[in-house]
Amino acid sequence: MRGASIRLVDITKRFRSVVAVDRVNLEVDRGEFIVLLGPSGCGKTTTLRIIAGLETPDEGRVYIGDVDVTDLEPGERDVAMVFQDYAIYPHMTVFDNIAFPLTVKARKLRLTKKDIEERVVRVAKMLGIDHLLDRKATQLSGGQQQRVAVARALVREPKVWLMDEPLSNLDALIRLQVRAELKKLQKDLGITTVYVTHDQTEALSLADRIAVMNKGRVIQLGPPQEIYDDPKHVFVATFVGTPPMNIIECRVGEVVECPGLKRRLPGDRLKGLNKVYLGIRPEYMEVVDEKEGDLEGVVYVVEPLGSERIINVRIDDTLIKVRTTQELTLQPGDRIYLRVNWKKAVFFDPSTEQALGKLLAATS
Amino acid sequence: MKRRYLIRVVALNIAVWALALVWALPFVGILMISVMPYQEVITKGWLRIPSLDTLTLKNYIEALTNPLYDLATGFRNSVVVATVSTLIPLFAAALAAYAFANLDFRLKPLLFALIIALMMIPQQLIVVPLFFLYRSLGIYDTLQGMILLHSAWGIAWATFFLRNYLKFIPRSLIEAARVDGASDFKIFRRVVMPLAVPGLIAAAVLQFTWVWNDLFYALVFLVSRENQLVTQKVVTLKGEFHVDWGLLAAGSVITMSMPLILYVVFNKYFMKGVAGWGVKR
Repeated sequence: MRGASIRLVDITKRFRSVVAVDRVNLEVDRGEFIVLLGPSGCGKTTTLRIIAGLETPDEGRVYIGDVDVTDLEPGERDVAMVFQDYAIYPHMTVFDNIAFPLTVKARKLRLTKKDIEERVVRVAKMLGIDHLLDRKATQLSGGQQQRVAVARALVREPKVWLMDEPLSNLDALIRLQVRAELKKLQKDLGITTVYVTHDQTEALSLADRIAVMNKGRVIQLGPPQEIYDDPKHVFVATFVGTPPMNIIECRVGEVVECPGLKRRLPGDRLKGLNKVYLGIRPEYMEVVDEKEGDLEGVVYVVEPLGSERIINVRIDDTLIKVRTTQELTLQPGDRIYLRVNWKKAVFFDPSTEQALGKLLAATS
Repeated sequence: MKRRYLIRVVALNIAVWALALVWALPFVGILMISVMPYQEVITKGWLRIPSLDTLTLKNYIEALTNPLYDLATGFRNSVVVATVSTLIPLFAAALAAYAFANLDFRLKPLLFALIIALMMIPQQLIVVPLFFLYRSLGIYDTLQGMILLHSAWGIAWATFFLRNYLKFIPRSLIEAARVDGASDFKIFRRVVMPLAVPGLIAAAVLQFTWVWNDLFYALVFLVSRENQLVTQKVVTLKGEFHVDWGLLAAGSVITMSMPLILYVVFNKYFMKGVAGWGVKR
């Protein structure tokens, strides 16, 4: 395994008065695939560029392996980066593009022309672009350009691989294919990878761990399943998942009173709060008969998606979404009863938006 | 709809052709006068296809070889001055433009403003102090002095022009090279310069033409016959009491030929360079 661990310690970066990255701490293990996920402007790309050395943090240190690289030039860090627009040099052939990282350091790495050629051809074969080596870079399709960019990032056998939304310029079909290839390649080679995307499907399918970012901060760091099932913050719950997690505001007294809730939920474990958010993913609810239902609502509209359908249900003033594969004939305005999988329900503190955990799992 | 489109195309064509004609006609006139015997020009007029029997290069030979006018020396001097005064500032300006476009350093906005301010100084304003400076430096009436002068002016505007051109090169290309371990000079030489070729050529053509056409500085700083430039020599083709229009026309065509050839050869790059980043990625 040739990867190196990465450690970010208290990284802060400001652009004039805007705080782009706010005290970020992150540890990436050797050979791990980590995805920085978040909406645009959340600081994920800036974080990546700080690891690459293209931005200098105002505060904090960056370690690759055991070396403090904070003050090192990008070229001295042994990282490779794939850019969103691929950054293919348009005046060079594919061969020269892939060979570029080797030729600029040929003397330092003591590489002969033959060594370089061998390594370029080997990487090109691995990515299935060896027949394109003599082409001008401008004559390539999007998918081919992407492969050239990946090849260029691989040829130097770096310790760390950084990718800035490398799939966002590909069309949907190729994206799926390249996504799988990237994951396979990363696992085979064991290169530590930091991957930036705003696409949660990409994040969930690629990552060993996901760092969800918002407003310059890492909100939650964990394996994809944990991010999905056990969000620690309302932002994570509503950013991840299509459609996102339903958030229902409830009052807390002796019992928890949620709109449409027919069931008594003991409120004694939520003492000190007078309101909570109940979070439940659309697929963790089931349409049932009146007597089995936990929630009662009115069908607002049904969206068929082929294999499944999304039922929009209005409960008082709240609109929630239910994803189901059940074959149902529902009309807008019909009364509907839902059974909630309480094991999967999450409660949040409305003032901090932090998760209170699955306090009610035991009551189901 | 279709008819209106047709009318527009026709009107546009007429306008463009008329404009081209207005521009080209004087040149055609001079060309005709330079290859026709003077008598024929007087008697039959110049706007016609010249008869092959009387077509002559006498005026050209006379202008280039007669020691009285010595246009050939002027031409040679101009080629030297204009070429060197193009290469030096372009090289210097390319380096400066790279720094302004891609590097962060203190006082960058101020320095850049200074360069723009430098471009706005009228040449006439500083000619007298320059004259004294040149005399005391001992480079008055030398081609080197002339080259220095034009290079100095050229660096300022070429830096401005090239910096704006380099800004069109996607930043990710430079950052990618930087992550791959290329030094700034390597990025400059292997990534930025090859991509800036249209801009460099456009700047070179403009600078070369500018230096070539200069008469003002040449009149002030070059006095001896063997150092004078072609623009100074052309004037001598016109006598005090008699003007041989054929000779003068031939001299003008010779003088114009250099910039004209440059524009024809580099037209493609020139358009790209002026229009900005033209490479499809």
